[in-house]
Amino acid sequence: MKNKLFKGFVVAAAVALSAGVVTPVHANTEIVVWADETRGPNIRTALATKSSWVSGYTVTVKAFANFDALKEAIDKATATTGPDIVVGANDWVPTLAKNGKLAPLTLTASQRARFSSSQFYDLSYKKKLYGIPVDVNNVAMIYNTKLVTTAPKTFGDMVDYYKANKTSKSLKAGLCVAGGGMSWGAHSVFSALGADAYYFNADGRINKSKTFDPNVFGSNVKKFLLDGKKSNGFFPASDAGCKDNFLAGTVPFAIIGNWEWTDYKDKGFTMNLMPVPGATASSPGKAFGSVSGALLTSFASTRGVEAAAKSLLVDFFGSTSGQVAYQKVEKRPPAEKGAATDASVTDGQKGFGASAAEASIPQVGAILNGPSGKSYWDSAPAYWTAVLTDGKDPVAEAKKLRAIWSANLKGAASDI
Amino acid sequence: MLIQLFRGKVALAFKVIVLALVTGVLITLAQSAFAQEQYIISLFLVATIALLNYTYFSKKRVPLKFFVPGIILLAAFVLTPVLYTLVMSTYTYKTGNYISKEQATQRISALALEPDENGTAFDIVVGDYRNEPALLVSDLNAGSYFIATTKERIEIDASVLTIDEYGVATAASDFEALDSGAISGSDAAKLRFKYSDPYFIAVESLNVGVVFRQSLEYLAESDQFKSLITGDLYSDNGDGNYANLNDPSDKLEPGWRDPTWFSNYLRLFQDDRVRDPLVSVFIWTVVFASLTVLTQFAFGLFLALALNKPIRGRRLYRSILVLPYAMPSIMSILIWGGMFNTEFGAINEILGRQIAWFQDPNFARAAVILVNLWLGFPYFYLVSSGSLQAIPTELLEAAAIDGANPRQVFRKVTLPLLLQILSPLLIASFAFNFNNFNLIYLLTGGGPKNQLDGEIAGATDILISYTYQIAFGSNVQDLGLASAISVIIFVIVASISLYGVRKSKVLESFS
Repeated sequence: MKNKLFKGFVVAAAVALSAGVVTPVHANTEIVVWADETRGPNIRTALATKSSWVSGYTVTVKAFANFDALKEAIDKATATTGPDIVVGANDWVPTLAKNGKLAPLTLTASQRARFSSSQFYDLSYKKKLYGIPVDVNNVAMIYNTKLVTTAPKTFGDMVDYYKANKTSKSLKAGLCVAGGGMSWGAHSVFSALGADAYYFNADGRINKSKTFDPNVFGSNVKKFLLDGKKSNGFFPASDAGCKDNFLAGTVPFAIIGNWEWTDYKDKGFTMNLMPVPGATASSPGKAFGSVSGALLTSFASTRGVEAAAKSLLVDFFGSTSGQVAYQKVEKRPPAEKGAATDASVTDGQKGFGASAAEASIPQVGAILNGPSGKSYWDSAPAYWTAVLTDGKDPVAEAKKLRAIWSANLKGAASDI
Repeated sequence: MLIQLFRGKVALAFKVIVLALVTGVLITLAQSAFAQEQYIISLFLVATIALLNYTYFSKKRVPLKFFVPGIILLAAFVLTPVLYTLVMSTYTYKTGNYISKEQATQRISALALEPDENGTAFDIVVGDYRNEPALLVSDLNAGSYFIATTKERIEIDASVLTIDEYGVATAASDFEALDSGAISGSDAAKLRFKYSDPYFIAVESLNVGVVFRQSLEYLAESDQFKSLITGDLYSDNGDGNYANLNDPSDKLEPGWRDPTWFSNYLRLFQDDRVRDPLVSVFIWTVVFASLTVLTQFAFGLFLALALNKPIRGRRLYRSILVLPYAMPSIMSILIWGGMFNTEFGAINEILGRQIAWFQDPNFARAAVILVNLWLGFPYFYLVSSGSLQAIPTELLEAAAIDGANPRQVFRKVTLPLLLQILSPLLIASFAFNFNNFNLIYLLTGGGPKNQLDGEIAGATDILISYTYQIAFGSNVQDLGLASAISVIIFVIVASISLYGVRKSKVLESFS
């Protein structure tokens, strides 16, 4: 029996050893990048356009099945399993930084000059920068030129068009949110009607005490979106069916995301993109002009590749040549200024970039994320439901909304 | 012949191969867990290996051979999560308090580097100067060059340097540049090179050095951080953070998972923001589970009674009634969700109304009960049908002879007997629905809730979905608090189940 037992253990040990041999060993000349299922392969393609972006180092890109899987993986990553760089959403920054998973980087003046200063807001937490802006994530309003021949100048122009043509053209709505949902995607409507999530001082810093006027905003909602206590049908409280309805020609104006503009182009729509017009012609609604970031993790330091990872961030993710190579395949508006004006950037990418340049607001996660149930993300759609579906008073609900946003702004004061 | 398969050399070889494979996999997992510093998991795997091999290579432990896999799986997937949840409920474990204290201290120290006001950065070459780690620094703004070691800063005249087309020094006498591939992991990447006190130069990337100063110093003896700018001291506040002694709200980040014993449990009773929604959620959970069991049982029994008598097409009816049970519940829930849609749902189409099923709390609760009735009545139909067959017909006949009408027979004889048989199942169903996360999450997401009025819990949130929301529902997660609620749910469900088990003894005595 002992002999048999010994043989069993020998076989077991052999199997274990063979498994151990194939266990990947993390060399300290390897920079590991994590990204989602589309960005990952595209980053690989872009990296392959040059023999080496960081001399002496290889770059390994791991693509996850989807964005949620990537987020879950980075949340659970440890020093032995995590990446050196993760390409993710800007609103990951506050949480990951709080949890000690990100490491700050310091850019030189010339490196910072490659980007709009507001883009650094998105990737900063407690005045430290944790990544490089990779691409602009924003929405813009598109209008159907088969229905509307000239671009609207004010919000009222769109409402007037809708009311005049609702029956004759079987319109299902006037303006709807096809991309980004009723909180992120709909910020431009909040803003157009007078409720920005936060405001900026003349020096470009966030005003930590200013919030919107609920009377002005509520009155605009009443004027443009309601018919008595009920919704006038111009702006639905839900984004369900918006894209299909716009493509079918039953909605003249839609807010679309820059990640899906080719869907509209393929259906024959021209990229006549613009911000949502404001209550007055001079106050267009600001969309969240957020950026995706290539974020430096604290694991890079543990593995001894922090300096090399920072070089990759600057020389690939943050350079004109790197972003041009990447956005040729990713097809989003590049964040880097040189890449944004490159000849290879398409109309759609430029259209979103131009709209963002005209009216956008950085997405500051420290303010917007807020406590559970009271974040911007929770409260914004709740306002539309309360007013447009439940028939509640727009001014009274706006006051509640302001109270939440104001509390979140105060709560984040030390983080921004 | 069949017995031979389990004996002899073939069986032994098969056993050795299977055990070897299992042992091999477990050794690999244990090694991986150990490498990731998951020592408890590694230890558990080693113990499992020992137990498996001892059991199956021994001739003496025959009963154990049957129980060991179950015992191991029970320990791994039931007891361990329960124990882990119990332990985590006694910790401050939330966003910002995620890592160990040692890791947090390291991160705070690493983050305590502040660039100077101008964000001064230089082009650098990393290497050795006279066998000491050093940087060859080009200050292009000032047009000067110097070598910085950890101890001194040596100004160097441009005329003795090799300078590239951008004006960056690339070589100097006695200075040996490192290969770029060796820089990141070298000592030089971690050192602080002389600049101008209190500022120093640190390697930022392979060819850029940044001027920093240290803003915090860790005092290991007193386990405190000292601000080198203000002089403030930051001490362990007992809640997973270093906090400023002069201003406790000023905390250093990141924090760490810290044992705080019963503070999460106390929050359930003392913190209004937690207690108030919890009470309403608890009441609804009990109502939801009770109504679910009641409606499912009543409808299932009604159908069982209706089909208990021989009627034409009874088999077909029985088959159709079981279909909802055969369909994956997730699909059913999602389909029902679409049918309840306000704008284009089939139910509103049929009713000819625009009912906002998921926006109104009462309609949403009704929808939840209705969908759960659909999902659960076939089960009670099946068990009621079976139980009706088990009731002796003599009893029913005797009651009828004594003059009882059919309604009295049902109320006085059939139902009491059925309840006696089905009580454990009713209790088990109540316990199951107490934790029916899938239904709530997929159908209503716990909503509706009026966030503008500060509602944290939704109208259809039950304890488990509310717990999920606290733990994972937003960017700010509170896993410690969620664990405490989970422990309470566990105690409630375990108590109900225990009661069910005791009721089962009634069933045994009846049988």
